[in-house]
Formats: sequence, C-alpha cells, structure tokens
Amino acid sequence: MNSSAAIDVREVTKTYDLGDVKVEALRGVSFTIARGEYVAIMGPSGSGKSTLMNLLGCLDRPTTGRYLLDSIDVSTLGDDQLAAIRLKKLGFVFQGFNLLARTSALKNVALPLFYAGVGSRERNALAAGRLAEVGLADRVNHKPSELSGGQQQRVAIARALVNDPAVLLADEPTGNLDSTTSEELMGVFQHLNEAGRTIIMVTHDEDVAGHARRIIRLRDGRIVDDQATGKG
Amino acid sequence: MNLTQYFTEAFAVLAANRVRSLLTVLGLIIGVTAVIAIQVLGAGMAGAVSGLLGGLSERAFIVFPSQQANFTRASIKLSDLQRAKDEIPNVVAAMPAGGQRVVAAYGHAHHRITFGAGPDERFSTSTPIRYGRKLSEDDIAEGRHVCVVSDQGYTKFAMIGDPTGSSLRVGDRRFTIVGVLGTDKSGILPLNFNLDVTVPYPTYERYFVHGNAIVFARFLMADASKVEATEADTLNWLRHLKGPRVEYQTFDRKAFSKGVDGIFAGITIVVALIGAVSLLVAGIGILNIMLVSVAERTREIGLRKAIGATRFQVLLQFFIEALALSGFGCLIGLILGVTIGALVNDFAIVKFSGVVAPIPWVRSILIATVFTTVVTLAFGTYPAWRAATLDPIEALRYE
Ligand SMILES: Nc1ncnc2c1ncn2[C@@H]1O[C@H](COP(=O)(O)OP(=O)(O)OP(=O)(O)O)[C@@H](O)[C@H]1O
Ligand SMILES: [Mg+2]
Repeated sequence: MNSSAAIDVREVTKTYDLGDVKVEALRGVSFTIARGEYVAIMGPSGSGKSTLMNLLGCLDRPTTGRYLLDSIDVSTLGDDQLAAIRLKKLGFVFQGFNLLARTSALKNVALPLFYAGVGSRERNALAAGRLAEVGLADRVNHKPSELSGGQQQRVAIARALVNDPAVLLADEPTGNLDSTTSEELMGVFQHLNEAGRTIIMVTHDEDVAGHARRIIRLRDGRIVDDQATGKG
Repeated sequence: MNLTQYFTEAFAVLAANRVRSLLTVLGLIIGVTAVIAIQVLGAGMAGAVSGLLGGLSERAFIVFPSQQANFTRASIKLSDLQRAKDEIPNVVAAMPAGGQRVVAAYGHAHHRITFGAGPDERFSTSTPIRYGRKLSEDDIAEGRHVCVVSDQGYTKFAMIGDPTGSSLRVGDRRFTIVGVLGTDKSGILPLNFNLDVTVPYPTYERYFVHGNAIVFARFLMADASKVEATEADTLNWLRHLKGPRVEYQTFDRKAFSKGVDGIFAGITIVVALIGAVSLLVAGIGILNIMLVSVAERTREIGLRKAIGATRFQVLLQFFIEALALSGFGCLIGLILGVTIGALVNDFAIVKFSGVVAPIPWVRSILIATVFTTVVTLAFGTYPAWRAATLDPIEALRYE
C-alpha cells in the first residue's frame, strides 16, 4: 500500500436507494493514483464515472469502502469537514464552467480564497497569478459573457488551482468545447501536469483521453481496464 | 470571515435586480414610513403640549375648589397660605390667585381690563418677557405697588414701545409697570391666568379683596417628581384647615399630559397595528423573493459549495442579502418617515403651537432597526437555510 498516494480508493461502492429500486452505480472499485499522475476515466454513459468523480471530489460519501485523499480517510467525514477538504485539497473543473455570471474573471478565480479567509489584496494577487498561468493575464477584468468558451474554461481551471490543491478533478472539461478549443485546453492540462499537478479527468473522447498518461475504464460500476497510455 | 465582502456582493446582487428589489421592499418602505412619520408627529405634538404648558412650571401645581363646592366657604386666607411652606413637605411657596374686572387708566385712556394677583417668576418657566421683568419674590414679599402687563393688556391699552417705568392707575391706586409679558402661545395655562394686568398678591389683597376671596392657589415644590404625594398632602392640609365639607382638586402639567397621553395611547395602538401588518406583508414579500433568488441561483450555490463554502458561509450570504434588502427598505422608510413627519408637523402643529419639537432620531432609528431585524430574522432565515442545505451534486446538476 502506497501511503504517499494522492488518492487511495478501496472497495468503494455507491448505491442510490430510490425506494423500490436500488441503483448500484459503483460495485466495488479499488485503485490508487500517485502524486503527479494524469488519469483519464472513460466508460459508456451510466457506467458510474460522474458518481466516482463525486466521491473523489468529496461531494458525496461512498456507501461502503474507504477513500483516502492525501492519506486522510474522508469516507466518514461530516458535511463541513468535507467542505474544508474540498476547499484545501481539491480543484474542480466542470463541463458547464460554472462561473459566476456578473463577476469578473479575477473575482471568479479568487472565490475559493474568499472562503478560505484570505484577505482581498492577497486574493487578487494570487488570482491574477493563476489567470496568467492559464494564459489569461489580459482578461482579468472580463466577465464570463465577454469570454469564449475555451477562455471561460481556463478561468474555471485557474479557479480550481488557486488554492493549490493536491488533485485537480475535471468531469468532461471539453464536453462543451469544439475540437480545436479542446486541443488548446489539453495543452493547458499537459502543462499543469508537467509542472507536477495530479489531474483526474472524465471524458468520452478518446482523443482527449489520449493526452492522459493512464486511462481507467469503467463499465456497470466496475473497473474493466486500467492502463498507461504510453505518454510522458 | 469578511462581512464587508458579503455585503458588497449582496448589494451587487440586489442592484442587478433593481426593479425587483425595489418592488419587494415597497411594502416595507410604506410601513416603516407610516410608523416613523406618526412617531415623529407624536413627538411634535407632545412637544407642543409641553410647550403650551410652558406658563406653568413642572414644579408648580394649582389648587381650586371642586365644582360642587361653595366658593365662599372654600376661599383660603392669605395668612394660612403663607404657612403652607412650613407645614406641607416639599412645598416651598404658596401663592394665591385671584382676579376681577376693573377700569384702569393708562395715560389719558381708560379701559375695562381683567386685573388680579400674579405669581412670582419661579412659578413660570417659559412665559416670555417682552419688556422689563416678571414679578419678583421681593415685589411680593414687600407688597410693592408694581404691575406686569400681559400682551393682551399691552394691546388693550394701545401701548407703544417700552412702557416700563410709567404708571397705571386702578381706582386711586398707582402701579409702576415693571414688565410686559410676550405673547403666550398657551391659552391653556398662562402664567397670569389670562389677566391683563397682574400685581403682587399682598398688594392686590390690601386694596381689592373684600372678605375671603382666594379660591385659586398656586403651590411651588422643591422636587417636581413628588408631585402626587405633595398634592395629596396639600389636600389633606386643606381638609384640616377647612373641614371635610369643602373639597378641592389639583391640577398640574402631568394631569394635562395624562389626557394627551390617552389620545397618544390610541394612536400608538393604531400605529403598532399598521406596523405589524406591514411587517408581515413586507416579510412575506422578502421571503418570496429570497426563495426565488435561491432557486434561480441553485447552480451557483452548488458551485460555491463544491469549491469549499461551508453551510454557514452559504447561509450567511443569503441571510445578508435578506438583511441588505430589508435594511435598505427600512433606511428609505426612515428617511421618508422623518421627512414626512417633520413636514406635517411644521404645517399642522408648529403653526399653531409655535413649539418646534426636536425630531426623535434615536427612537426613529430604533424602530427602523427593529423592523430590519425582525423582518430579516423571521423571513430571511428560511431561504438562507434552504440555500445552505442544498446538496452540491444536485444543485450543480440543476437546470
Ligand atoms: N442521484 C442519483 N440518484 C439515483 N441514481 C443515480 C443518481 N446519480 C446517478 N445515478 C445512477 O447511477 C448510475 C451512474 O451514473 P453516473 O452519473 O455516474 O454515470 P456516468 O458514467 O457519469 O454517465 P454519463 O457519461 O452519462 O455522464 C446511472 O445508472 C445513474 O442513473
Ligand atoms: Mg457523468
């Protein structure tokens, strides 16, 4: 057992109880992801990818099994403790960007720091730095509506990174982007991974998955394949 | 926890929904305006009443026979009254009051006037002086041949300029004018009982009172707060003096205020009802709009929670939004209420009483604050709690 693994998932199941029906979204999943890895999770629709990401993202708790994030057992924590873990250890990138509409790129990126209790001057400085890192130094004061889809997703990435998280989680980050913009975004991920970021990304797109160094394939709530792509 | 940031964001959200926010707090604005305006008006009225009673010091009270009493039997001797300050606790002076119609001469002009005994200046607080001075303690102690002319007396004699030093003749007695009183707005309890000319009591008694004619007496207290006990003691003292068959009653500023207070109590109940109804209506409006706001921003809430906002932080965000909304409404209501109250006060009360009461800022601000607090707590808490307890996964999936 590798205690320095960023993520250590052991026999995790997730069952949704819908009264008369029980949906077994995950049926016993185990894997570890080391620091600095770049993993794509693939699988057909309904195979449990988002369910797994929600667990990895500490947005939900497993029905059974254990999940160690950065060596902390998070499977039994309460809501506020999970919120603290999400704040300090995780960065999220969503398919729909989820930026605050009337708020500038800078303030969007600074939002997690606000919840972390960082002062406003330091918040803005850190946020500006992250925006520069994703190539948006000149779009700091733009509102989401004034940015392209690709740029919006980069703002979301900057936001995910601003707390310097242990793991970056992205559920279909290119789902709303055309292939050219997707390629650009993969360039950003590549760059981040080369700089040492741990990245876990759900995607339907083999080309996008090809940028990762490892692909975990799910079917019916089970891992059916877990292989290096030969990249990196 | 940076509250300023929460407020900045709350105001930004409200500003983005300007029309909606304004419509929502309209009820609150109207309610708070009404309550505060009436409240300011009430203070103006109370000020006017106390101004109207300015002629009578709050340390003074008046004793006179009850309506059924035989006035001749009820009259009090001056010598008795002079002992009152030694025999009744808290009484420092007692002064008779009496008057009659006489013909008086000023220069060559003869006029029918009301003429009688005036109290010294200690009994009055604010009856203004136009020329000279009021009657002094020495004038009374020495029974001087001096008089004070009221503003209506001044008009009757068609006096011009400062008449002090010149003399006024009643019968074959001459009185030196020492002062002219200014316009007494009261008409309710003026210092001089609306007499045209007043002289020291001993002087009045010596020449104009035949028999016992003191039916009104003024008493001055050392401590105004003991007015009730002192009045009771005085009535007791009179009972000893005059026997149980003659009844007297007392009158003081408090007695007058009490009547006015009764009217105010009624108004207060009406205002409280208006306040409660507007509070309820405004509160429900805010509850509704906050629930809409939470529903509209479900994804935003999901996002905030996903990136690590705690339930408390989300709760605070929406709570402060409700607070900003109701606080804004109450602030506008405060400004409008004070403005309208002061305007109506100017037109309806000050015009007649001449008394400008200060705006009761502390109480007005207190009312606005209480409204804000109650509305926010009662109607802002539930939507905020709804937001705080949303499941982030479901919230993020919300369309
Ligand atoms: N909140 C829920 N309540 C009940 N069932 C759920 C819930 N969320 C997911 N499921 C079910 O769990 C299974 C896995 O869903 P999940 O969203 O993880 O799939 P996915 O692999 O992300 O699919 P897609 O590629 O379409 O996004 C599905 O059968 C789904 O219907
Ligand atoms: Mg999914």
